[in-house]
Amino acid sequence: MNDSRSEILQGTLDLMVLKALEALGPLHGYGIARRIEQISRDALRVNQGTIYASLVRLLQRGWISAAWGTSENNRKAKFYSITRAGKKHLAAETENWERIAGAIGRMLSLEERS
Amino acid sequence: MFDGLRIAVSRVRGLVRRNHEDREFQQELETHLALLTEENIRRGMAPEEARRAARLRLGGTEQLHEANRQLRGLASVEEFFRDVTTAWRMLRKTPGFTWAAILTLALGIGANVAIFSIVDAVLLRPLPARNPGQLVVLAYEQRGGKLESYFSYPNMRDIRGQTKVVFSGMATYRTSFDGLGANGHAQRVLSAYVSGNFFSLLGLWPALGRLIEPSEGGVYSAHPEIVLSYAFWKSQFGGDRGVVGRSVSLNGHPVTVVGVGPRGFHGVFPFVETQVYLPMSMMMVENWMSRSLLQDRNGGPFQIWARLRRGVSVAQAQAALNVVAARLASEHPKSDAKFSLAAIPETLARPIPMQPNPVPAVAALFMALGAMVLVLACVNVANLLLVRAVSRGRELAIRAALGCSRGRLVRQLLTESLLLAFLGGAGGVLLGMWICGEIGSVSFSPGLPLLLDFPFDWRVFLFAFGAALFTGILVGILPALRASRVAPGAILHEAGRSVTSGRQRLRSVLVVAQVAGSLMLLVVAALFARSLERVQHLHLGFDSAHVLNASMDPSEIGYSDAQARVFYKEMLERARALPGVRSAAIAYTIPMRTYTPEMDFIDVEGYTTPPGQPKPLVNFNSVSPGYFRTMRIPLVRGRTFTAADNRNAQYVAIVNEAMAKKFWPDEDPIGQRLRLIHSAGQWREVVGVVSDSRMLTPFGKIAPFFFIPFAQNFASYATLQLRTLGPAASAIPEARNLIRSLAPGLPVFDVGTMREAISGSGYLIFRFGAVLAAALGLLGLVLALVGVYGVTSYAASQRTREIGIRMALGARPAQILKITFGQGAILVGTGLVIGLAGALGAARLAASFLIVSPTDPLTFIAVPIVLAAVALAACYLPARRAMRIEPTQALRFE
Repeated sequence: MNDSRSEILQGTLDLMVLKALEALGPLHGYGIARRIEQISRDALRVNQGTIYASLVRLLQRGWISAAWGTSENNRKAKFYSITRAGKKHLAAETENWERIAGAIGRMLSLEERS
Repeated sequence: MFDGLRIAVSRVRGLVRRNHEDREFQQELETHLALLTEENIRRGMAPEEARRAARLRLGGTEQLHEANRQLRGLASVEEFFRDVTTAWRMLRKTPGFTWAAILTLALGIGANVAIFSIVDAVLLRPLPARNPGQLVVLAYEQRGGKLESYFSYPNMRDIRGQTKVVFSGMATYRTSFDGLGANGHAQRVLSAYVSGNFFSLLGLWPALGRLIEPSEGGVYSAHPEIVLSYAFWKSQFGGDRGVVGRSVSLNGHPVTVVGVGPRGFHGVFPFVETQVYLPMSMMMVENWMSRSLLQDRNGGPFQIWARLRRGVSVAQAQAALNVVAARLASEHPKSDAKFSLAAIPETLARPIPMQPNPVPAVAALFMALGAMVLVLACVNVANLLLVRAVSRGRELAIRAALGCSRGRLVRQLLTESLLLAFLGGAGGVLLGMWICGEIGSVSFSPGLPLLLDFPFDWRVFLFAFGAALFTGILVGILPALRASRVAPGAILHEAGRSVTSGRQRLRSVLVVAQVAGSLMLLVVAALFARSLERVQHLHLGFDSAHVLNASMDPSEIGYSDAQARVFYKEMLERARALPGVRSAAIAYTIPMRTYTPEMDFIDVEGYTTPPGQPKPLVNFNSVSPGYFRTMRIPLVRGRTFTAADNRNAQYVAIVNEAMAKKFWPDEDPIGQRLRLIHSAGQWREVVGVVSDSRMLTPFGKIAPFFFIPFAQNFASYATLQLRTLGPAASAIPEARNLIRSLAPGLPVFDVGTMREAISGSGYLIFRFGAVLAAALGLLGLVLALVGVYGVTSYAASQRTREIGIRMALGARPAQILKITFGQGAILVGTGLVIGLAGALGAARLAASFLIVSPTDPLTFIAVPIVLAAVALAACYLPARRAMRIEPTQALRFE
């Protein structure tokens, strides 16, 4: 994994984790990684372990919470779920993201034309 | 600063929680790997390959662990600040509780800060010199006697010459009182005569002009120069920079001011301001010391300060000194037999080297008493916190039910108690500063330029910080652990009523601890107070009531001995004629004045010193006719002094009974002869025996002591003693007027009653100890009472419902009283028993500073009774309230 890519990823990955938890309810780390890969159609193929840094960050900010539970193959697993504050943050960030993404998209298409 | 805190906190947390969280994370990663492997197998990989692919997909576990740890560390800092703000909010919600807790802790911490800052000043804070850790004071022991620190100059020179390997320098120091005349009036100053290298040895620089230089001080009267201390220059010369080069007079001799010492340097003795410094050789000019002072090996007035060479330890220096001591003893068997030398670190040689040094023990005793008060304060606050935890039980239960981990709850509660402790600590520092200011303003001994300021340095603040941290954890940990152990279900269902029994037990332990602790404090305080009282009412052998003292030294305004003799004669005659004066006398020194003792080795005719022992060293006093009448010391045999006992007559002496018994046990002392070795060395005839009186210490065995006529051992320094008809203090203006009319401008010092004089110096340690211990004891008592009252009344209110039921079932008020009061009484009784055991131990530690026995029956009976009475009263009030409860009301309670 090279550095420039990971830097871009940090913010977006957090956002994707939140989105996945909002959409699918409580998930363990593997589940989250799997969903993100599926939804992004493997476009963001990175080490799945990166997800855990993102989870710790989100926990610290109080946007998600964690509880131990049992996975589908009967293993002890930590299940993460989005908190109310997390939902609020996701909504705000989604709007923000769309605005920036739109702006960047327009910018890039402008460059292509000239 | 902030980053530092962040790192520190996360590291501490990392150490504590690391393993646990690492294991959790490991578990998480393992599950992840297993799930990934299964997925790979489902996709058709072979199991071995599937596992390998899964590992690759997840990434290096070690890196993941590391990244996880880093993030966690930072997280705890954020949580910490969140905890602090939450704690602050919670404390502000209950201002009554918060103030009570902060005040209690401030009292506890303040008392400790004050004690510590005194200990700091006495024992820990180094001299404001360059590398003060290298400074040592030399002392010697001769013929197995006690440790002495005044050396002769030849000895100092020999020691210096032979220890150059371990000491980079050696300087001499000697303090004295002198009269300094400047700006048209004379005043008494505490002066130091120093060798030329003294200031350079200490590494000090002048604030103005120059200091005494290494080349000075070796030749009699060669350098009539004086250096002022910074504080003295500021107060007496208004900080005038033109003072350098001015001529002032010292004891009537002109000396030139050459400079001002560095700011903050008060001399090498603690608690006094050494006001002026002169070259060592001026001592012979100013203090009638023999001109052979620098050659005489016998006895000597010099304290020796030395600086260890870099990297040389005190033990190495000591080894070198042992060799030198052995050599000196063999070279000078007459004066230096059985001679041993010691190097003592400067901080342990305050005010003078002593063996054993009692200062650390006293310091430890008071630190222990202070710690006791702090523990009592902590117990009180812990109690408050326990009660608070009960009333917050619901809140905590809800938080636990919502998934807040136990550790998290404990941390939140601990943060609250730490916040309380640090607020209390801040208050304690302010309080401690105030107490130290008060102590500094108390005048203990009017004769010395006392310097009782205890500036707060980093050690004191560090101590206060440590005390607050300790306090916060101590008061918080038990309540926090208890509160967090609560099963949420139980509390939410039962409204917190039936889960209090465990806490009740803990609170009972706290009450017992409080009663025991305050009993210990009070017993020690009472022992000091009893010692002080005993001292003051001790039979001293003289009558201290109605005696006024005033000291002076006419040589300070340049009087010759002949002039001074005339002056004293006239003063005595006129004093006796004063209307309110019964009798008057002049004496060189007064009882218990430790800084002007007169003592000498003596020869007694017909008495042979046992082989190997020094000649007897006996204290004496030079007194005028009328002395024994004025002091009311009864004459047992013979006669007292008369005006005829002058320097042209037969030299005479009067001995006390102890001396008569020691030297002439079976003979009539009258007519026997004795001789002082150093001063006024003629044979004297004993003409009288007086009864024993306490001249040196207020306690212990009375030692041999004798008196000689003032006229036959004249010194310019003397004290006028008046026995008055009315209160002694009322004669002060008359005495001052009398002296002023005879010698205008003569400084008069140590003016005060004999009562003040003996309590000021001889009893200083008892007074100081008694005041300090009493203050601590009272504080402890108040804290214990508040604690006992709080706990019993809370216990009673917890049982309100039970009491209501009992009364509804027909229990009489007296029975209810018995139940509630009985419970408190048992706790108080247990506390008293434990406290008595502790108090016996504490008293044994303090025994060497007490005059009364450490098992003084009065103290050990009266103090527990008083404490029991007040503690039981504190139990009784809530019990009586419980007794008056209306059953119907009680059942509806809660």
